[in-house]
Amino acid sequence: MPRPDDRMAKILMLKPEKCISCRTCELACSFKHEREFRPSASRVNVLSFEKEGISVPMMCQQCDVAVCVKVCATGALARNLETGALEVDDNKCIRCKMCIQACPFGNTTYDSVSNRILKCDLCAGDPQCVRFCPGGALTYEEASSGTMAKKRAFAAKFKDAMQEVSK
Amino acid sequence: MYGWVGKVLRVNLTTGEIKKETLDPVEAKKYIGARGLGTRLWLKDCDHLVEPLSEGNNILFVTGPLTGTLATNAGRYNVVTKAPLTGAMAASNSGGYWGPELKYAGYDAVIFEGKSEKPVYLWINDDKVEIRSAEHLWGKDVNETTDTLRNETDYDAKVACIGPAGENQVLFACIMNDYTRAAGRSGVGAVMGFKNLKAVVVKGSGGIKVADNEAFLDALVRAREIVKNNPVTGQGLPLYGTEILVNILDQSGGYPVDNFRDSGSTPYAEPTSGEALTAKYLVRNKGCMACSIGCGRITNVPDGPFAGFGEGPEYEAGWSFGADCGIDNLAAIIKANNYCNELGMDPITLGSTIACAYELYEIGAITGVETGGPLNWGDAAAMVELTRKTAYREGFGNEIAEGSYRLGLKYGHPELSMTCKKQEMAAYDPRALQGMGLNYATNNRGGCHVRGYMTAPEILGIPQKLDNLATEGKAGWTKIFQDLTAAVDSCGICLFLTFAIGGPEIAEQLSKATGIEYSVEDILAAGERIWNMERLFNLENGFTAKDDTLPPRLLNDPVKVGPCKGAVNHLDKMLPEYYELRGWDVAGRPTEAKRTELGL
Amino acid sequence: MKVKFFALLRELTNAKETTAYTAGTVRQLLDALCGAYGGEFTRWIYAEGSAEGQRQLSGKVIVLVNGRAIEHLAGLETALTGTDELALFPRMAGG
Repeated sequence: MPRPDDRMAKILMLKPEKCISCRTCELACSFKHEREFRPSASRVNVLSFEKEGISVPMMCQQCDVAVCVKVCATGALARNLETGALEVDDNKCIRCKMCIQACPFGNTTYDSVSNRILKCDLCAGDPQCVRFCPGGALTYEEASSGTMAKKRAFAAKFKDAMQEVSK
Repeated sequence: MYGWVGKVLRVNLTTGEIKKETLDPVEAKKYIGARGLGTRLWLKDCDHLVEPLSEGNNILFVTGPLTGTLATNAGRYNVVTKAPLTGAMAASNSGGYWGPELKYAGYDAVIFEGKSEKPVYLWINDDKVEIRSAEHLWGKDVNETTDTLRNETDYDAKVACIGPAGENQVLFACIMNDYTRAAGRSGVGAVMGFKNLKAVVVKGSGGIKVADNEAFLDALVRAREIVKNNPVTGQGLPLYGTEILVNILDQSGGYPVDNFRDSGSTPYAEPTSGEALTAKYLVRNKGCMACSIGCGRITNVPDGPFAGFGEGPEYEAGWSFGADCGIDNLAAIIKANNYCNELGMDPITLGSTIACAYELYEIGAITGVETGGPLNWGDAAAMVELTRKTAYREGFGNEIAEGSYRLGLKYGHPELSMTCKKQEMAAYDPRALQGMGLNYATNNRGGCHVRGYMTAPEILGIPQKLDNLATEGKAGWTKIFQDLTAAVDSCGICLFLTFAIGGPEIAEQLSKATGIEYSVEDILAAGERIWNMERLFNLENGFTAKDDTLPPRLLNDPVKVGPCKGAVNHLDKMLPEYYELRGWDVAGRPTEAKRTELGL
Repeated sequence: MKVKFFALLRELTNAKETTAYTAGTVRQLLDALCGAYGGEFTRWIYAEGSAEGQRQLSGKVIVLVNGRAIEHLAGLETALTGTDELALFPRMAGG
């Protein structure tokens, strides 16, 4: 589906294998949006699996076909054409929380302290979580280079296997 | 208040009463937080001469004003209590996520008084605080306890708890939080065990505000940049962890072997080094809350008798279960360290006590009758099994559980206990590192390396290279390191930052966060105040200048091989100058003038 | 004489140690190693921007001769004999 704005957008890439579980992203996010250090108000959350030693930072993936937008009764969820991010308009939002039910990833959350729906808005194009992430687990890249690196890494497995066979 | 959140929880385990108090801003400003503030609050509330394992010994969990913010590595908190191992003040530092979560719940500190009749835990859920039964948890190890508590409170709650070692009041039992982080030394876990307090669980949905948002952000961005670009904090620690020190100390002739019988190039170093750990068992590195270094080691030994998944070892544990016992088996060291995490014990004291036992066995002071089997140098399997037994006070483990000082004394050889003020020294030989020796001897909590980390200048050349074998100038340097560390420990940030940043960056972040202008001099003065406060407490409890000493082996028996061959520690050349620089009399007591100057 | 490499210097030299080089001073030996191991290794040893023979240490490595830091010997001009052992560490550490 063609994007409304045909300029090449940047995407927030997750590389969980580099996540050191420091949750700096949660602090940077909450400080940027709320001017206080409050992980419960962070739009990004780090999910830790201690027994496996793996942590995964998760935030809204700004889906092209966004289920949250489809279920929103008031049109409070809309796309920012500049950044490509889906944003919540607090004035239109009625806190029905259908977006939370609908999101297949669980990336929209509700903050009971401020009574608001929280979701990543890419900080208007300058994501703070990326700025502060010490391990490089969060990057903000041109869409093509972001996906190519992973493709290339997997292709290398084929290359290695083929070399092995040809010996 | 900014930085601090302004509330303290006071829990009386005898009566079950829970009170919420306002944090005194005057005390907070003067003692900053964590180590300093916690010690001050303990001293105000408790009878100073109280027995450590008694109802009157409060135990405090205290954060700093920077804890939980985005300041550099701002994830730390302190557990403050009178130490069962030493009778000195214990202020044990830990990282992970527990400390920040306490502040998000709305509290700078939790004070526990009295003693519960039955096992309990405290559940802090923002302003809802309750004491709950922990009878179903008693006997469970740290992993199982943490899992169970997350399921019955909130899956995202942070848990600080004791394992069987704390329950059995092993004198060096520790408190574990977030599975693998520890308030490690001096036996703080035994105090919790005595009080029948199994765990403190916290979940917070609140936040921390700072005084000047823009200036604070600016300060921490610059500080983080310095930390990132520094070779120690930006590359060395993340790549190899603290174990990188093994080869450095070994090549420099300061890596102690066989209960400090010698130091020098040893066959134990390479197989147990950071290089070996990274090559063989490292899964990935890990950081505490707000950490930009990531020195934590997630490790996995896939098979064999020592198989297991966990975090660690750090340099000190790698040594205490390794070279100190004549062991070169890295997998066994990892297993012993995993036991320490799972069962809740301090690996430094434990390993060093086992080494002492190995030496006692060698000279025949103890035999198979007491130990239940051979204890020979280099026996990895025996070391691992003894580690496990100690947590349960099983068999000879019951003796190990008392620490090497009491072990050596009992079997007629106190000189074989490598302790200062009854706490075991760490993995730096004082004969090779003169300044570290002075720090060990004068440290308020006994044999402790972190609080006056003279290894930095003497071996690593940070901030500048001092001759490790020289005594000149060491008194002044030791004082500065001890004072600065006391201040850092009170802010709630990680000590490893000081490889990269110093007083100015710390003072700036502290000032912009709290809204109180702290200069570098103020920071050092606060540190000096805290150091003297701890010293005065020790003096009240009968410690004297005679206790500012090292085991005779390190004062009299020269190193036999390697670059420091022939060296002993010349404490007598450094101690008088140290007392003088500290403003203490020749008996090591802070003078009235010094006490007035520091407001004590 | 022996030169021992530690931490990531091992990756840059592909060796834990070598006895392939001899020299009269520490400076000459380091120059020989830099010549052999190339650009990135050299950047760890020497500060950028000065001519060979006058280069200063980068401050990023610890150089030990028989376990003693060269700062306490004669620095880069420390004399070496055939039985000496050098140890080179990137300046990184812990606790």
